[in-house]
Amino acid sequence: MATLNLRQLVKEFEATRVIHGVDLAVADGEFVVFVGPSGCGKSTLLRLICGLEAPTSGDIEIDGQRVNHVAAADRGLAMVFQSYALYPHMTVRQNMAFGLENVRTPREIIETKVREAARLLQLDTLLERRPTQLSGGQRQRVAIGRAIVREPRIFLFDEPLSNLDAELRVSMRTEITSLHERLAATMIYVTHDQVEAMTMADKIVVLRAGRIEQVGAPLDLYNRPANRFVAGFIGSPQMNFIPVVAGGHDGDGVAVTLPGGQALAGIAARTAPGAGTTLLLGVRPEHLALTANIADAQLSLKVLHLEQLGAHSLLHGLVADGGTRITVHAPGQTRVSAGETVGVTIAPRDAHLFAGDDAGLAI
Amino acid sequence: MIGFLAGTRGRGRFDWTDWFTYGYLTLGLFLMFGPVAWLVLSSFKTESAITEFPPSLLPMGTKQVAVPGEDKPKPVYRVTLADGSTRELAELRRIGLTSTMVDPARPDELVRVPIDQRTPVREFRLATENYAELAGKFDFGQYLWNSVFITVVATIITLLFNSMAAFALSKYRFAGRKTVFLLILSTLMVPPTIVLVPNFLVVSELGLLNSLWGVIWPAVATPTGVFLLRQYMLTLPDELLEAARLDHASEWRIYWRIVLPLTAPALAVLAIFSVMWRWNDFLWPLVVLSKSEKFTLQLALNAFQGDLVTQWNYLLAMTVITLVPVTLVFAFLQKFVTQGIASAGVK
Repeated sequence: MATLNLRQLVKEFEATRVIHGVDLAVADGEFVVFVGPSGCGKSTLLRLICGLEAPTSGDIEIDGQRVNHVAAADRGLAMVFQSYALYPHMTVRQNMAFGLENVRTPREIIETKVREAARLLQLDTLLERRPTQLSGGQRQRVAIGRAIVREPRIFLFDEPLSNLDAELRVSMRTEITSLHERLAATMIYVTHDQVEAMTMADKIVVLRAGRIEQVGAPLDLYNRPANRFVAGFIGSPQMNFIPVVAGGHDGDGVAVTLPGGQALAGIAARTAPGAGTTLLLGVRPEHLALTANIADAQLSLKVLHLEQLGAHSLLHGLVADGGTRITVHAPGQTRVSAGETVGVTIAPRDAHLFAGDDAGLAI
Repeated sequence: MIGFLAGTRGRGRFDWTDWFTYGYLTLGLFLMFGPVAWLVLSSFKTESAITEFPPSLLPMGTKQVAVPGEDKPKPVYRVTLADGSTRELAELRRIGLTSTMVDPARPDELVRVPIDQRTPVREFRLATENYAELAGKFDFGQYLWNSVFITVVATIITLLFNSMAAFALSKYRFAGRKTVFLLILSTLMVPPTIVLVPNFLVVSELGLLNSLWGVIWPAVATPTGVFLLRQYMLTLPDELLEAARLDHASEWRIYWRIVLPLTAPALAVLAIFSVMWRWNDFLWPLVVLSKSEKFTLQLALNAFQGDLVTQWNYLLAMTVITLVPVTLVFAFLQKFVTQGIASAGVK
């Protein structure tokens, strides 16, 4: 059980800077998920925390103590690797006991702890098997068991589910979440899958190119993305971005002009953009609605293709003016077919505005 | 097995490539196994049978028979008697051109025969006494012990040292690690004869002449071994070591409990090589060991070839005994050689 603080953490590999001054505080017992596209530095950050890499500058503090120069073994952390990294020549029992043997734990205590962890993870019957004789999900559980028996201060998970098939991934997701509830331990979890992040995290850290883009609870990120990148990364299918021109604003919010010339008023904004500036309107597919009457619609959409999922349908198409590609999430099953043009309405309360530049900060 | 050995390329009939393949393989078999087979068969011949001309392939000896009233068995000859009949008689003694013979069934009845009227009766006979008398002839046990000691100890130390070097070179990042590796590899290009004298001087200064350790120490660090093990260890995932490090394992424990067990196939290859090298080593022991009680089997074999007389039957028997251990080691571990070399080379 521990807190973690990162202060201005920088990591350079030779001349390349991969972590650009990261600041982060993780509270005791929190489940934090690092999420971001591949190459964003999330795994490097994890390796810095556990001590497998040394930071170029900045501080890492565990329970308020600076651990920059403490060896990985002495930081009291445990990591579950993407490849599981189980010792192939040892049985499940030996794999789990290895860490305890290294700190000269008495044999009886090792036995009790291994048995307890095995029971918790339903590995009781597999203790004498070798990793090659286990399925992917079982190996995953052994890797977690190996972390549990050491009673680490912080659990680290490096994309632990990415080698599992979709079905197993969903069930392991719940297992890890319930494990977190039972152990009430601080856990840091790295993934590139935003669904995992949304479903498991107390707090999500969105990373891009070695920088933290936003930190917050899952729904905060969903409802109030700090910039265009976070808005696009969190939520599936992705948020739609439509270029608009800012108009006036009143107490109700900002008004913009849509590509077809239609106006949309009452968009919530933190600052008032200058009239006439080009902005991006961000609307999630589920906040767009189809309308039968094209004259009432704010956008007209030429449907390119459909995904009928039964419970809901996804319509992919081009906005008539400007040719922006957008996706509409329609409840139930739709009668629209590819090639048709349909009207789309936007709920202004659920729309977001982003600056038109590269940073794309929320307005 | 039969199907494998008698496999053909053409379906059911011999293609020309089959003729070629079988011919080539038979030739190879003959070239490689001919001398060995000849050696083994000859080691079972009596001293006289080895030197006889024309030589026989199988160990043949003159048939011997016990004659009542005589201490030793007597050789049997096929004799053409004066009346033209032939009989098989045992020769008691031979004086000049006359041989005194007797029928073992009727020991009282002596027959005198001119020696050109008799031919020895030969039969297949293994001269096992070549082996049986070997131990008594000279200090075979001592030589065997010296050889075994050098081979076993040198192999263990070779495995230990080379794997430690390979571990550092494959799993640690430090300045100059490529240079060190290349330096080690480049010693492969120095012929052993060139370093023979410097090595001798070092061993002599260390007072290791006429000591088995003088043979062991200069041989234990081999560039081939370091290279082989390093290439294999490169294929072990770094994550295993990192996991062990997080598991609070010391670097020595990582080496001993994680890396070494997982390098077993490559270690087996190196062990086989090392056993063969040390067991067959001749030049270096010859230089270091000059007292006969320190001789290895190879040196003893050499010493057995006297200046004036060489007892070939014993020499050949001893050569066969010397071949057996390496052959056994190779036969049982050869599948590791192919596996180990394949995995060290491919990845």
